[in-house]
Amino acid sequence: MAADATTTQNAGHRQGNRDGLWLLILWMVLSVIGCLLVALVLGPHLPPGAQSSSAASQQTDITVLATIATPVVVGVLLYFGWALAFWRQQPGDETDAAPIHGNTRVQVTWIIGTAAIVLSLAVYGTIELISPAGAGAGEGPQPIWKPAGTVTTSVTSWAPNTKNILQVQVIGQQWAWTFRYPQFGGFETTQLVLPVGQPVQFNVTSLDVTHGFWAYTLGVKADANPGVNNVAYTTPEHAGQFQVRCAELCGIWHGSMYDTGDVLSVASFLTWTQTAKTQLADVTKLLPPYALTYDPTTIPAGKINVALGLTSAGGGYYNPADPEQP
Amino acid sequence: MSLPARVVTLVVAFLAVIAGGIFVAFEFIGAQPSVENYTPLAKAGQVNVTMMTTPETTVTNKPDWVSYFIKNPNTGAFDHTTYFAVPANTRVNVTILGYDGCTPLRNPIWGRVAGTLGGVENVSFFNGKTTSPAAPLTTFDSWANCSVQHTFAIPGLGINVPVASPTTVAENNALCGTGPCAANDADGALAPHSVVTFSFMTPKTPGTYRWQCFVPCGGGYVDGNGGPMATPGYMMGQMEVQS
Repeated sequence: MAADATTTQNAGHRQGNRDGLWLLILWMVLSVIGCLLVALVLGPHLPPGAQSSSAASQQTDITVLATIATPVVVGVLLYFGWALAFWRQQPGDETDAAPIHGNTRVQVTWIIGTAAIVLSLAVYGTIELISPAGAGAGEGPQPIWKPAGTVTTSVTSWAPNTKNILQVQVIGQQWAWTFRYPQFGGFETTQLVLPVGQPVQFNVTSLDVTHGFWAYTLGVKADANPGVNNVAYTTPEHAGQFQVRCAELCGIWHGSMYDTGDVLSVASFLTWTQTAKTQLADVTKLLPPYALTYDPTTIPAGKINVALGLTSAGGGYYNPADPEQP
Repeated sequence: MSLPARVVTLVVAFLAVIAGGIFVAFEFIGAQPSVENYTPLAKAGQVNVTMMTTPETTVTNKPDWVSYFIKNPNTGAFDHTTYFAVPANTRVNVTILGYDGCTPLRNPIWGRVAGTLGGVENVSFFNGKTTSPAAPLTTFDSWANCSVQHTFAIPGLGINVPVASPTTVAENNALCGTGPCAANDADGALAPHSVVTFSFMTPKTPGTYRWQCFVPCGGGYVDGNGGPMATPGYMMGQMEVQS
């Protein structure tokens, strides 16, 4: 009786070893194929594309993470499929499977392997956040990671291919985006136009609630907070259009708060700035002096406004009890 | 109670709750203002739309909210709605009777006329006795002057039109006290107001475009952008462009 059990157990071990070997071989082959497909075929099509330096960096990161995840996904699906196909319980067989005992070698391998993967990804993620000038994310008012070789030597003038970085102020308000170009006379417009191949510094702020400036295919995303300048960097690398959306729920028309921006050649961009500067000259002189943040509750109100008690554009100039409080 | 009866009772109760939820969602939460349809009135590629702004909305349960009204093209009365329909590829000639007082803009950029034919709006003022000649204007300084009460802006079409406000302290303190203000006119107690006219072309293809006011006129609400600024039928609405 005992001999029969031992014989059966040994046969089970041999079958298990054969299955394990087949699984290992299949997993390795499918993983290599899967990784190549993800990295070389799917990768170039993953979001957010490669229209800017930050977008391309993000696409590379997502491709790397997807490639690393591929063997794990293949392993889980392969084991699942193999179990369904070959390890089904036979009709009439009501015996239990062999008991499982701890396996120190497997456990140690698992812990070291997963720890190495997680720590490697943490290091990779940190480097990738730093090296491409903040990866297109808002870095707050005093950014640490800036595009290599750029400085802000002037906020009142700009020329292409110089160290002086192009400044574009992004102003969120319920419910529209406006963009100000301080190096071209400080005009403000509803159009976002950028030059190809030139580093850009977005100075993102808000006039009311918190908005989220999300130039999706540029790989730029920075919250627009009232009273705060949130800096983000990118370098557009391909001419074309890109979408701008609001990524923070900001009220009833949040979903409609989008724009289409343009990346133009440097020459076309300079032409556009001159045209816009001329067309908007009449309203530019009415704008407050360029600043990193604005406070609409403090305005230089004229005589009639003062006489009417309208010394602010803060929206709170009615009797606090009229109308009802929110 | 038998088992079939219990099952039937349970199913009926369940369906009743679902039906009640759907009713509430459509009847109350999803309720929209009525749509003033100007499309049938278009002639020779043009259509005329008339609106009104008021400091109060006495025909609603929010009498102290500012509001837009739109003229019903069939009855001639000003209805409390901000939804209207116009035909595609058509010149829309808009008249806004601005009965509200001035308010500074949060962002002076909205004081610039944009997206209208010729890039201008024509403005005349009624001071309670006489009406000034219409003059073309392109820019309003709402901080230095008491010049803007609301704006009519369709961001999706690049349209922004500041609605001029009565220009003196006395006029701003003599605004009409009912909404719509046409009632005042009918009484002969004419309130000061501006008359703003402008034109724009609708897109060639049908679509729905939201419009809004950029003046923080939701007094008492955060940043002046709550209340009427965030409620369909008051200071925001939709323009439906029909084929």
